[in-house]
Amino acid sequence: MSKTVATKKKTVITRKELAKQKVLIAWSAVFVIYGFIFCYLPLAGWLMAFENYKNKTGLFHSQWVGLEKFKFLFSDATFIKVIRNTFCMGTLNLVFTTLTAIVFAILLNEFRLLRAKKVVQTISYLPHFLSWIIVTGILNDALSSTGIINELLQKFGLVKDTVPFFSIPALFWPIVTFAHVWKETGWNAIIYLSAITSIDPCLYEAASIDGAGRWGKIKNVTLPGIKPTIIILLIMNMGNLLNAGFEVQYLLGNGLVKSVSDTIDIYVLTWGISQNDYSLGTAAGIFKSVVSIAIIVIANSIAKRTGEERLF
Amino acid sequence: MKNKTMKKVAAFSMSTVLMAATLAGCGQAAAPSGDAGTTTGSDTTAQTSDAGSETVASGDIVDMTFFAGMPGTEINSGNNEIQDMIAEKTGVRLKETWLTGQTVAEAIGSIIASGTYPDLIDGGDGCADLYNEGVLVPWDEYLESGKYPNLTNYYTPAEWDQFRQDDGHIYWCNVFQNTKGAPTGTAHNDEAFWIQARVLEWDNYPEIKTLDQYFDLLERYAAANPKTQDANGNEMDIIPYTCLCDDWRYFCIENAPQFLDGYPNDGSVIVDFDGKDPTIVDYNTTPTAKRYFAKLNEEYKKGIVDKDFGTQKYDDYIQKLSNGNVLGMCDQYWDFQQINDALLTAGLDVQGCNYVPLGLTIDPGMENRWHTYGDTLNTASGIAVTTSCADPDLAFSFLDKMLDQDIMNLRFWGVEGEDYLVDENGLFYRTPEIRAKVADPKYKADHMCMYSYLPQYGGTSDDGINANLPEEQPSEFYDKLAEPLKKCFDAYGAKNYPDLIGSVVEDVNATHPWFPMWSYSNNLDTSTPGGVAWTKMGECKHEWLPKLVMASDFESEWNNYMAAYEGCNPQDFLSQMQEELDRRVAANAGN
Repeated sequence: MSKTVATKKKTVITRKELAKQKVLIAWSAVFVIYGFIFCYLPLAGWLMAFENYKNKTGLFHSQWVGLEKFKFLFSDATFIKVIRNTFCMGTLNLVFTTLTAIVFAILLNEFRLLRAKKVVQTISYLPHFLSWIIVTGILNDALSSTGIINELLQKFGLVKDTVPFFSIPALFWPIVTFAHVWKETGWNAIIYLSAITSIDPCLYEAASIDGAGRWGKIKNVTLPGIKPTIIILLIMNMGNLLNAGFEVQYLLGNGLVKSVSDTIDIYVLTWGISQNDYSLGTAAGIFKSVVSIAIIVIANSIAKRTGEERLF
Repeated sequence: MKNKTMKKVAAFSMSTVLMAATLAGCGQAAAPSGDAGTTTGSDTTAQTSDAGSETVASGDIVDMTFFAGMPGTEINSGNNEIQDMIAEKTGVRLKETWLTGQTVAEAIGSIIASGTYPDLIDGGDGCADLYNEGVLVPWDEYLESGKYPNLTNYYTPAEWDQFRQDDGHIYWCNVFQNTKGAPTGTAHNDEAFWIQARVLEWDNYPEIKTLDQYFDLLERYAAANPKTQDANGNEMDIIPYTCLCDDWRYFCIENAPQFLDGYPNDGSVIVDFDGKDPTIVDYNTTPTAKRYFAKLNEEYKKGIVDKDFGTQKYDDYIQKLSNGNVLGMCDQYWDFQQINDALLTAGLDVQGCNYVPLGLTIDPGMENRWHTYGDTLNTASGIAVTTSCADPDLAFSFLDKMLDQDIMNLRFWGVEGEDYLVDENGLFYRTPEIRAKVADPKYKADHMCMYSYLPQYGGTSDDGINANLPEEQPSEFYDKLAEPLKKCFDAYGAKNYPDLIGSVVEDVNATHPWFPMWSYSNNLDTSTPGGVAWTKMGECKHEWLPKLVMASDFESEWNNYMAAYEGCNPQDFLSQMQEELDRRVAANAGN
């Protein structure tokens, strides 16, 4: 009895203590089991990347080939291109969606008419709920040779001949970035808006007293106020850099722009599912995961070193 | 967030693990049903032969599923009149599902990954994958059992042997290009450069024999008639020539050089046997190929080729053709034949918007082989029964009965008195009203049931009078032609489409015993160097061919293309094809 009293702060795990916390334990066990089954158990499938996996022979009887699949992967010029595409589109998306969301959130915050603000906000995040197939459909129609964009360009005499937007490789990344920005700006702005509302109003008052105008308040109060949010979101989204997308590129891509449109996910689909080479698909997937983890760790440690907010 | 990426990989690997487990289950399930076929064979024979003469009570009708690795139109399964009639005769109602929005390879890959198979499947180019998974039921026992005579006699033993996989068993059978009785040969179900009948009429039916003449006519017509009207009277710009490059259908841009040189459709290569041993020739790099793409490039710059050709999807393409403002294109007939119903419904057929095929060559005075005379035995794909099918005996009996003449008539002609009439000589015919009725999408969904990917015959019916397929009935064929087409046929003195094409009349199987080479290349996978090269060549051509057509400087773009093409090691592919060709030639010499 005296023992427990002495170490009360540390809470020794006794049968009694377990019984007391049984509800908590049961609930956390659910999540541990969930995590184990859905996040860790499947990692056994990574074995596939090191063998010549065939469904018939299964995970345990397929021929072991070591690093051969990885060798093929990195000697395949297409894969190198695919990494480049994924990385570049991911970066473009991240930079532009973050920037536009912050700018948009600040602009919305400066709105004086509350009703108008609500209307604008609602309209702006509606595209988020459209699926990509619809967004790409709209883009396809708008940018086709008979679409509204070409018609406008011609009416205003900006171009003589219609512009074949989807046949020009140089335009593919901007189109994808634009699609992301259009779809996600309003939605992403919500989190920044809520960060802005949590800034202490006293700071704004103090700034006004010190003679700061609107611009001065944005620069000296709003932006520093939401900086932690921006950094945390940025770090988290860095992990998504290589998830540059699948649907958009898959749906908008065509033979002409293939060299700039294919992403790692599409590569995994073509080799893993279409060509039935699960091993190669898994190898590409492993590569993607490892790089993503590395990017997060690096971003996090940079944040740590510069004394900013961080994930872990 | 890292969890998310991990989870994706995890989910991918997880599903494969699960599937491996399911597959193991399937494999076990397959064995007993296979046994059942041999041990209790005699019992089932008695049952099935009894059932043959009577109708099946509706309670005993078994629902089966079928997936086709091809896009198609779904019928109102379960609410379709002819489907029910067939079900009463066979005891099976088959729910067909078609390929949508994916490539065949992706669809078959996902089916394999999910581990849930339909009862029957036509895997298209993915047939070999299904075989490698071991999920198909071998046909041998069923064919040898004698219980399914229609199926057993569907091919000769030698032909059946060609379907054998490397384990010596037969797993599928191709249902097309199998002629019974005399071939009626009205259709050109092959590739061609097509042109709207009204364009030929406008120029008083000129002789169009070469690529240059073809584009010259398109240019002149488009200059004189820049606008046309759609079904609703809206004015549209003429698109003189379009070209499909979407996914596997990019053959529309890709394989014309083999035909322009006068070779038949070996699909992936030319087989040159002029006075020597048959040799594989790559048609992608021939001078003809270069001239063909240079011509397309020239026409693109002139605005004759559709601006959106490189990016259009199949649906866009079909939509354009159905609008009637595309004057010409290069395609396989079966790839666009559905537009004929749309043209008919829209009344555009009487304006001459139907397409007629032209047998073009690169230079004048050459032979052409756009039309294939004789059946092409495609052993690469076909209908298969999967190990998920609970009652393979019933499935085979169903497939067998598909070849019964009365069921064939139901499938393709419909119900007598409703969908076709019979004249005093026993000849089937349709009135214009019936033709309009059977072209109506709603009627087709509720009433017609073609089961178009199940075993069937072309040629002539058992009655010796009628064609098995309405579109091959010579009288029906001619009567059905819209007025502008009739005028066109008359002007050229042609009775049918092959006459118009003017290909060399020869039984391709006799003159080209290895034909078609594509039945080998279609099933290549990336486990061999040739297969890897073939996949990469495909990707390379997908990207470069439209680029070539749109290039501002063709010569330099062609050189870039050739450099990229060489990078795919086409030699690996070609030598593998040569091996297969030698094997086929030797096998033929042995017979």
